[in-house]
Amino acid sequence: MATRSNGTASDRGEVEVLESLQFTDEIQHLMSAPTTDNAGFFTALLELPAPQAVQLLHSPESAKLIAAPVPNVEDFKGSFHFPSNSGLIERAARFSVFAGEGNNNTKKSNSPETTSNISSANLEKAVKSEPAESESSQPLVSDPTVEKRSIKRKDREKKVKESKKKSKTAANESSEDAEKLPYVHVRARRGQATDSHSLAERARREKINARMKLLQELVPGCNKISGTALVLDEIINHVQSLQHQVEFLSMRLAAVNPRIDFNLDSIFTAESGSIIDCNFPSMVMPMMWPEVQVNGNRQQYQQQWHFDALQQPVWGREEVCNNYITPENSLLSYDSSTNSVTLHSNQLKMEL
Amino acid sequence: MNPQHLNASSLKSRFTRRFLRALTKINAQKPISSSSPREIFQRYGRIKAAADKSMANSVRSRRTWSRAMLWKLRSRSYRQASSGRRSAVKTSTTTSHQAIRKKTNHEKENKPTKTGEDQVGFVVQADELRELVPGGEAMDLCNLLDETAHYIKCLTTQVQVMKKIVDFYSL
Repeated sequence: MATRSNGTASDRGEVEVLESLQFTDEIQHLMSAPTTDNAGFFTALLELPAPQAVQLLHSPESAKLIAAPVPNVEDFKGSFHFPSNSGLIERAARFSVFAGEGNNNTKKSNSPETTSNISSANLEKAVKSEPAESESSQPLVSDPTVEKRSIKRKDREKKVKESKKKSKTAANESSEDAEKLPYVHVRARRGQATDSHSLAERARREKINARMKLLQELVPGCNKISGTALVLDEIINHVQSLQHQVEFLSMRLAAVNPRIDFNLDSIFTAESGSIIDCNFPSMVMPMMWPEVQVNGNRQQYQQQWHFDALQQPVWGREEVCNNYITPENSLLSYDSSTNSVTLHSNQLKMEL
Repeated sequence: MNPQHLNASSLKSRFTRRFLRALTKINAQKPISSSSPREIFQRYGRIKAAADKSMANSVRSRRTWSRAMLWKLRSRSYRQASSGRRSAVKTSTTTSHQAIRKKTNHEKENKPTKTGEDQVGFVVQADELRELVPGGEAMDLCNLLDETAHYIKCLTTQVQVMKKIVDFYSL
């Protein structure tokens, strides 16, 4: 295999011509090897003009992307080196067509027919998304030559845009990009249609999946469940339980506070400090209605509150008031006739 | 108690303020002797409406569910307040109801054709969710999930605040 130097930046044109010549030699050499995939790949490459094809295979980013499995990555960075067919297949499998400055996507022009299947709509989309992608992609390579190639790559990518991909990383990263970018560009996986309708559908599905993930984090206990239907069931249960809790609490409030009132102004003028998040200190008497425990159990609520809400008026409010006043007159200057409770308000201030 | 400085305009504080104001208003209206279950039930309805209203107002109109909830509450209060003008009010509300229902029917017609493509089998749950989340009838799945997430967040703050108030009152 002939190894080439990368060439200086000034001699870009000459070097590329040189490389292209050697490239075609090596391609023909490789074409003789009996591998169908490779053949398809290289004929696809040969369709491209030579310097651009050279850039395809030359890209140092793909070298960096591949990292461990292909050991001669570092050689490849500057030299055009075909160690083995399998190595090239691997590199090609991860090669990124979206070559911005250090693209994070890997692409593979896998079969010759894909290059011919590129629709103009996709091309435009791709070209427009490519500058955006180059912003969002992580800079894998700080090679200055990459930046110069990227300009030429934009032309090349127009042709190789909608190729089918094998690598899952490409699909995942493209899904992430589809989330970030204003322009929807989704990578088509192998065997999937590439027309714009299914692309839009796929983008939509990915949006929905992202939102489902957010919901799973919100709803406790949803992380372990797999399968969107079950997760949705769980979410529905959670929403229902929250709504029931609100109803139950408002019922309790309706039953509780016919007398108690508090001075709001003093609370909100000095609204600072420990508020709702702090726990309510048990500095007062135990509850009047021991059966009605706020324990977050929806079914208990439903069984109990009917009973309690009807019972409370039977107990009699005066009794309750007396119980309030006697142990807590230091805390509550509670008066059944008046409606303002100043110490109450202080307590509430601390609570809220 | 760890004194932490609460963001003065957070959802929780906004809701708390409005809800407490509404509570005091309700208490001021019907001062005492609400010992009959019916009156308690009435108060319950009012308090629940106040809670929902204050929550929806804290969110303003930034969310579809809050707009729908405010609209529902307002239409209900209009209907209760003005029995004389009920016919006029009802027509306006019913037409908008019908508009929403038409839209959802239209969407439902589209859905069976599309189920093979997008909604991979959770159409039933999506419909249930639509019933739960206010204003969810006229939303596609993507926005519905968004609204559900925000709605869950607001509901949890509502429950927390009301729990604290109830605990405070019951002691």
